[in-house]
Amino acid sequence: MSELRTQAFQAPPDVDRIQRVALALGGVALLVALVGAVVDTEQFYRSYLLGYIFTLAIPMGCLGLLMIQHLTGGGWGMVTRRTLEAAVRTLPLMALLFVPIALGLSHLYEWTHAEIVATDRVLQWKAPYLNPTFFVIRAVFYFGLWTTMALLLTKWSREQDATGGDDWRLRLVSGPGILLFGLTITLASVDWVMSLDAHWYSTIFGLLFMVSEGLSALAFVILMTFFLSRTPEMSRVLTPKRFHDLGKLLLTFVMLYAYLAFSQFLLIWSANLPEEVTYFLIRTRERWQWLSVLVIVGHFAFPFCLLLLRDLKRQANRLAMLAVIILAMRFLETYWLVVPNFRADQMSVHWLDVTVALGLVGLWLAAFCWNLKGRALLPVGDPYLEEALADGHH
Amino acid sequence: MLEKAKHADPPETRFIAPGHTFGSVTEKISSAVLTKRTPVSWFIGFAVGFALLQALALGVTWILVRGVGLWGLNQPVGWGFAIINFVWWIGIGHAGTLISAILLLLNQKWRMSISRAAEAMTIFAVMCAAMFPLFHTGRPWLAAYWLLPYPNTMSLWPNFRSPLVWDVFAVSTYFTVSLVFWYTGLIPDLASLRDRAKHRLLQIAYGVLSLGWRGSARDWQRYELASLLLAGLSTPLVLSVHTVVSFDFATSLIPGWHATIFPPYFVAGAIYAGFAMVLTLMIPLRRIYGFEDFVTMRHLENMAKVMLATGLIVFYGYQMEAFFAWYSANPYEWFMMKNRWTGPYAYLYWTLIFCNGVAPQALWFKKIRTTPLLLFGICMFVNVGMWIERFIIVPTSLSRDFMPSSWGIYHGTRWDWMVFVGTMGLFLTCFYLFIRVLPMLSIFEVRTLSTSAVAKEESGHA
Amino acid sequence: MPDDAAPHAATTAAALYGVVAEFETVDQLLAAARRVHTEGFRKIDAYTPAPVHGLAEAMGYNDRRLSLLTLLGGLAGCVAGFGLCYWTSVIDYPVNTGGRPLNSWPSFIVPTFETTILFAALSCFLGLILLCGFPQPYHPVFNVAAVRERATSNGLFLAIEAVDPRFDHTATRQLLESAGAKDVYDVEP
Repeated sequence: MSELRTQAFQAPPDVDRIQRVALALGGVALLVALVGAVVDTEQFYRSYLLGYIFTLAIPMGCLGLLMIQHLTGGGWGMVTRRTLEAAVRTLPLMALLFVPIALGLSHLYEWTHAEIVATDRVLQWKAPYLNPTFFVIRAVFYFGLWTTMALLLTKWSREQDATGGDDWRLRLVSGPGILLFGLTITLASVDWVMSLDAHWYSTIFGLLFMVSEGLSALAFVILMTFFLSRTPEMSRVLTPKRFHDLGKLLLTFVMLYAYLAFSQFLLIWSANLPEEVTYFLIRTRERWQWLSVLVIVGHFAFPFCLLLLRDLKRQANRLAMLAVIILAMRFLETYWLVVPNFRADQMSVHWLDVTVALGLVGLWLAAFCWNLKGRALLPVGDPYLEEALADGHH
Repeated sequence: MLEKAKHADPPETRFIAPGHTFGSVTEKISSAVLTKRTPVSWFIGFAVGFALLQALALGVTWILVRGVGLWGLNQPVGWGFAIINFVWWIGIGHAGTLISAILLLLNQKWRMSISRAAEAMTIFAVMCAAMFPLFHTGRPWLAAYWLLPYPNTMSLWPNFRSPLVWDVFAVSTYFTVSLVFWYTGLIPDLASLRDRAKHRLLQIAYGVLSLGWRGSARDWQRYELASLLLAGLSTPLVLSVHTVVSFDFATSLIPGWHATIFPPYFVAGAIYAGFAMVLTLMIPLRRIYGFEDFVTMRHLENMAKVMLATGLIVFYGYQMEAFFAWYSANPYEWFMMKNRWTGPYAYLYWTLIFCNGVAPQALWFKKIRTTPLLLFGICMFVNVGMWIERFIIVPTSLSRDFMPSSWGIYHGTRWDWMVFVGTMGLFLTCFYLFIRVLPMLSIFEVRTLSTSAVAKEESGHA
Repeated sequence: MPDDAAPHAATTAAALYGVVAEFETVDQLLAAARRVHTEGFRKIDAYTPAPVHGLAEAMGYNDRRLSLLTLLGGLAGCVAGFGLCYWTSVIDYPVNTGGRPLNSWPSFIVPTFETTILFAALSCFLGLILLCGFPQPYHPVFNVAAVRERATSNGLFLAIEAVDPRFDHTATRQLLESAGAKDVYDVEP
């Protein structure tokens, strides 16, 4: 019986096409970017970091959501689980794509330069943590942990398709897993992003980073779910109620992000301490302030108002359109987060910023599509599947 | 294998015991107020609460007579028990709103049988919290006389950039909206009591309070919409309240106070403390009043899970404080952290880590989550731990600030303790009065839990 | 006020508030409400101890005005809150506080948020009270003992008012009985 169901819920042939197009586009963009790397090495690494942080947010957010849905259950988790799983199985690829960052450390982080550290008391204090060796060791550890969790969760979930029955191991890994996930992602956000300006710090940063990754992942998942809902088998499962739930979740993440971001802003603005407030001074300077305004409006105000509408959340195509906007805004927000560290004086866009990001996203999307195929689009072996989907019709 | 999903829920996973109908639910819950003999334990609990309330009366009277100098505040620690207790009580209140509002939006049916008591708890907790800002003014009637109406003789307005003013807005809004939400939820139940009360005076009292509710379908439709809207408004409100409370500290420059993680960490802490208090109250109550049918094991387990999750966020907050104290490379921040670990209040810090960080890890085990007595014990650790957390934040930082020559030490005086314990008396007294005169579970919502049973069993009534 | 308004044919139709029928199950009540509405009755109402999903809709009734009221209240609160902060800090008595700008909008967002919620919640609550016509000390359906005793515990009732143009005492009673009513009572005004 599960054999039959596995065959029924297969990825549509369109996935193949997307995979080919994404691979071709991504490959070409990366090749062009390599030319850029020869011309302007420093800019290449900086653009690469931007593209990488943006792309990694999707599989990492998916890992968090995957563990959360194993712990909480519910219909939204059932219908998105396979998308989440396909996304987290790209983590080995993302680990591989981290290599250029490790190679380009000196172009990215000022604390890698011994001569700067020698004259800077703060960087000396942080040297036991912020040094290239420990940085790489930590990155290896993060990816080791994330990949292990991702592969275990997807392997057992696949086994469940064949054997059926409740697999307690999924919850056993997810519980402590979410803890380790939270801690490692916080440290990773400090390593990769916060230490771009090694003098600045904010204790909420890790949480904010986590939520923004969750938002990226959720927007992507909604887009994919809409895409899959056009196949006849999945359309019966993906009722308006399912999209309504996903829309509510998206609203939660939009609000959570805004709440955390506003808290950080208000506290730093109020205290006005020289070592903290630079972060916002740079980002409200000249043209950067217009990007700040755009992020406030596009990343919060606009999706917030739309997501309050009940009908929009229940209409898959409109929700998917909003998800595309949110993904675009996520890129701008990542830009706002990363790039001012390199171009504090004036906002400008380098052609490599876009090219590298396109290349990485294309490559990642191809890997995602490849992962999506071959497995049922629903966890057909999960004993709670029927129960979770039973409430979908009102 | 899909058939497995269809098996009937085992008894411990239900939200209401089988066999209940509209009638039996009404009978069982309203009888606790109207007809049943008041249990002896109610008198004992009320007596304890009322006795403690006398401590509040005594403490407050003496403070009004002699002044707030009776409290242990002095240089350099100018904030002490008053704000610690204020934050502690406000935090406890949060679970009530969370249960009634957020879980309503999430369509979590299990909230129905605990929301009423939890909301009542919110209101009483905020009342207790309000005692401290009120009496820290020394002679509140004078404060009211000189401060109201604005503008005063100096033509000055409040400084709207100050978090203390935000606090006034947040807490008074919170209290008002909680009261409105709670009363709205009570209206249909008050009508139930009105129609079942035998005594004329009770009929009139409940009749006036129920505003003439008759269960009209038109009213129900508006009523459900209003409940959803109020829940939608209460959810961001409740998150904002402890956020604003955290701003009291975090907008300042004191090491250990100025941390951007404070808002989410305070909110998580509030939910954590609140659920611990809900469990502290519900575990004995369900036993005493025989409400195990409505407040089932599954309720206890769910609340324990929420506690575990929020507890872990709080613990994450502690870790972030420690890590960034070092990472900031700010000598004052790092000293603050070392002072917490080894300074004069180190014993409290490590007690806090045990109460809030270590003890709740037991909640990972289903066995502990489903054993009321053990769960009750864990909740006690959390209740204590969350109070210590606020103590660690306030005097630890103030007693060892930037200038060693102005260091000092702070302890609460007997008047501090008397007022603090007294507010517990106020809380208990209010809560016991509440369960005596109002239905402590939401009758009409619990009725809807039994809706499926209606079609089959309701036909049995005369 | 008669204690028991059990059916007695002597009551003339003109003096009636209407009739009220008691049903045994939610499904019967829902079906009857739908049927009565389809038959063209508009002055109808149902009385149930708990909200019944879809009952108001079955009677062709869906009042969304409360959402609008709440929204308006929220907007008013938003304007009032920010206006208060702005007027006092920038216009009426500008004081330099800690070197912060007179229009410290990041700070003002906090009180503005609170007043928005406060005004919206109060509009919602008062709107509910107003739209339901509360407080309402007297209503004719309470003249029926069955409604008094059971409408707020375990009885399910459907009422048709005599002012409805389609109301005919006998025919309406028969209609309700044929819709599965267990009992039909006349309601004194």
